[in-house]
Amino acid sequence: MLRKIFILTLFAALLVGCAPASISTPTTVPVSTVASTIEVPTVAPTPITLTDGLGRQVKLDAPAQRVVSLAPSNTEILFAIGAGGQVVGRDEFSDFPEQAKGLASVGGSMGQYSTESIVALKPDLVLAAEINTPELVKQLEDLGLKVYYLKNPKTIEEMYGNLEIVGQLTGHDVTDLVSSLKARVAAVDEKIATVTEKPAVFYEIDATDASKPYTYGPNTFGDLLITRAGGTNIGGSLKDPYPQISLEQIVTSNPSIIILGDSLYGATPDAVKARAGWASIEAVKNGNIFPFDDNLVSRPGPRLVDGLEQLAKLFHPELFK
Amino acid sequence: MKFRSYLFSLLALVLALTLSLAIGSVFLSPLELWAALTGHGTQTSAAILWSIRLPRTALIALTGMALSGSGAAYQGLFRNPLADPFLIGVASGAGLGAVIAMSVKWPYTFWGLMAIPMSAFVAALLTVLIVYSLARVGKTVPTTNLILAGVAFSSFATSLTSFLMLRSTGEVRRALGWLLGGASQSGWTAILAIAPYLFIGLGILIFSGHAMNLLQFGDDQAQQLGLNVTRAKTILLIASSLATAAAVAFSGIIGFVGLIVPHIMRLWWGADYRRLIPLSIISGATALLISDIIARVVLAPQEIPVGIVTALAGAPFFLWVLRRAKNQGYW
Amino acid sequence: MLKIESLSVNYGSRRVLHDASLDVQSGEVLALIGPNGAGKSTLIRAVSGVIPMQSGHVRTNGDDFNALSPMQRARYIATVPQAVSLPPAYTVWETVLLGRTPYLNFLGQPSQKDEDLARRALDRVSALTLAERRVGELSGGEGQRVLLARALCQSTPILLLDEPTAHLDLQYQVSLLELVRELAHHDGLAVLIALHDLNLAAKYADRIALLVGGEIKASGKPEQVLRPDLIEAAYCLPVRVIKHPFSDIPLVLPESRK
Repeated sequence: MLRKIFILTLFAALLVGCAPASISTPTTVPVSTVASTIEVPTVAPTPITLTDGLGRQVKLDAPAQRVVSLAPSNTEILFAIGAGGQVVGRDEFSDFPEQAKGLASVGGSMGQYSTESIVALKPDLVLAAEINTPELVKQLEDLGLKVYYLKNPKTIEEMYGNLEIVGQLTGHDVTDLVSSLKARVAAVDEKIATVTEKPAVFYEIDATDASKPYTYGPNTFGDLLITRAGGTNIGGSLKDPYPQISLEQIVTSNPSIIILGDSLYGATPDAVKARAGWASIEAVKNGNIFPFDDNLVSRPGPRLVDGLEQLAKLFHPELFK
Repeated sequence: MKFRSYLFSLLALVLALTLSLAIGSVFLSPLELWAALTGHGTQTSAAILWSIRLPRTALIALTGMALSGSGAAYQGLFRNPLADPFLIGVASGAGLGAVIAMSVKWPYTFWGLMAIPMSAFVAALLTVLIVYSLARVGKTVPTTNLILAGVAFSSFATSLTSFLMLRSTGEVRRALGWLLGGASQSGWTAILAIAPYLFIGLGILIFSGHAMNLLQFGDDQAQQLGLNVTRAKTILLIASSLATAAAVAFSGIIGFVGLIVPHIMRLWWGADYRRLIPLSIISGATALLISDIIARVVLAPQEIPVGIVTALAGAPFFLWVLRRAKNQGYW
Repeated sequence: MLKIESLSVNYGSRRVLHDASLDVQSGEVLALIGPNGAGKSTLIRAVSGVIPMQSGHVRTNGDDFNALSPMQRARYIATVPQAVSLPPAYTVWETVLLGRTPYLNFLGQPSQKDEDLARRALDRVSALTLAERRVGELSGGEGQRVLLARALCQSTPILLLDEPTAHLDLQYQVSLLELVRELAHHDGLAVLIALHDLNLAAKYADRIALLVGGEIKASGKPEQVLRPDLIEAAYCLPVRVIKHPFSDIPLVLPESRK
């Protein structure tokens, strides 16, 4: 009996002992300049009313100065439009740009965020994305926080729309940014319009099971960008957005280019060449296997344009000397 | 002292409750807690306490109670030490219901947000109904049949769930998060929603100790001693299923608590179900509260789903308990 | 008293008990004998209500048992089952107290009276010293005595026993049967006991019923039922029946097969 009490007390003491030590206190990092984005003067404060992606009315008295981003795409958008200095916290996976890493993390893996950390940061706006659940939005709303749920764009043009929205929320004029993005996209479109042959492309998302790797199916940005960049996505004829494609189908479609979206997880062209049954594929024979940063295609932010440009360069190098 | 077991368990519960309210991104000492509770604390501590920690602590405690209480009931009902509240497929059924609901884009309204928990709840109860009907033979419900039907239905529901998750990869993260367990919706809404079912279910179980003792001697002896066996089993099944369904609706699938806590109670305090059930209920809350504290603390600010903590922490603890009980034949 | 009228029981589509009729008077011991598979256990289980009957009635003083709830039935009939395994964690005391279930509320809290009755029952079967022991630690004989004590606690006018002496040492067989006879003759219970051993049946029963292939072939006083022709037909073995050298009861001596 005594032993049980002792064990319980010991356990409690241990818990209390490690609790404060292992919880980081949030810090804010001042962000002065962000190299690759355009500096825009902030506009005068006016009340902002918008309807978000869940149909909710979000009202701000003035542009948000303390934003917590719950998705990497949102973080990228915020920094790209020049609002990086207004971000006080971000989800665990926000790793671009470099300055974002220095901000306080509020969790996010396996869908679990630390609501306490979010509240402790005293944000005046929480920017959620489609990877966040409506339940989380409600939870934060119930805690008295202002949440804006930014729906995923389906096209690049819709992405510009999201830039505008975040610009309004944070008091930044995104006209110049959007114009420059449009110009870059137009440049690619112009060159691709002259293309007569669109190479078959296999985009690999995950090949843990090399006999049935995951690829982009229809209605994904991967598929969209591959097509716009002048390629033919062999996954586009499948039904699901993130289907597994059998090795047989890959061999039959015989892509001349393989894009390794899983290079961030260690996939290399040499490893692909060594795979059993892959030798007959055109792309393997001519060595056109390219590592690629999947974030440029999966995060619905301004870097989609970077993704488009890089893919176009890979598919039609002769047009982009 | 006759009530020593209750005293100890309640003390442990109070300790766990206090710790759960105290620990988080900001540590609130008991004094600060008391101040915040009585309205004298700082604004931040009051906000954190009332809006975040109290509802979360309450939900976790209630869930732990439900899982352990019905776990003890299932072990008695099936006379099987491996029984837990999910034995006859309630977990897989609830999971299927939740994942089906997740494939629909519900409007962001009160009822829209209740769609998934309600779906899980209804699916859990439907599962019990289906399994019960499958297992029935004439007027009796043999326990072997229940287990077999439950396992069969479980496999079916789990594979269907996996298939649905694969087809709609956008929702996989959300589904996984739900399935791994955790208080996904804090706030008093969840508590108000499940409280009636919990209290009815657990209330029935608390008073069923005597019937459960009788059932341990087998259906024949129980009947010969005067118990209406089929009626008792049906009531017990309904009560535990209500409690389990309510627990699962908002907290997802949290394993091990319903299996281990009754065993530990049995080891410490004996096999009499009149005591075992209330003690399991109290200690279930304690166990889950502690698991939740660990889930919050270990990788802060990252929170692990509680279901993972219970599995990781529970298994070795259980093995330790088993070693001690090996020579006692306590089952 | 116990009146069994034209009792028929099926297992699935197979009829295992045909039209069995028996009377057990208060104050008498009726032994049910017969080869394995004859239906002795089936009869006892059907009377105690744990298996359904196809047709027939079981009555006491006018009340038909099928009209009673299990609780009410348990106040009339107590059963000592055949060599069952008991959940090992319960103590003897807890087990015996369960016999008071028909008189307790649903919470199962025993009163002083219930505890006294339990204590007396344990004393009667000479198991009072075992009270705090766990049931899992008991020997076969001790377990049987505990079950009998539990049945006594039920304070019923009718007692059923299903081969209670099956695994007992000789001294325990005798003491149990002597107690059973005392319960009938002294306490006035109607006792129906299924027995394996024909000579024990002859010694301790007032009347015997012979059950073969689900049918009652004979019933009456021991000397009426323990006849060589009946026994030989039932067990397919030639026997000689003599009078016990020191008492009036018959003694069955099996002969070897020719």
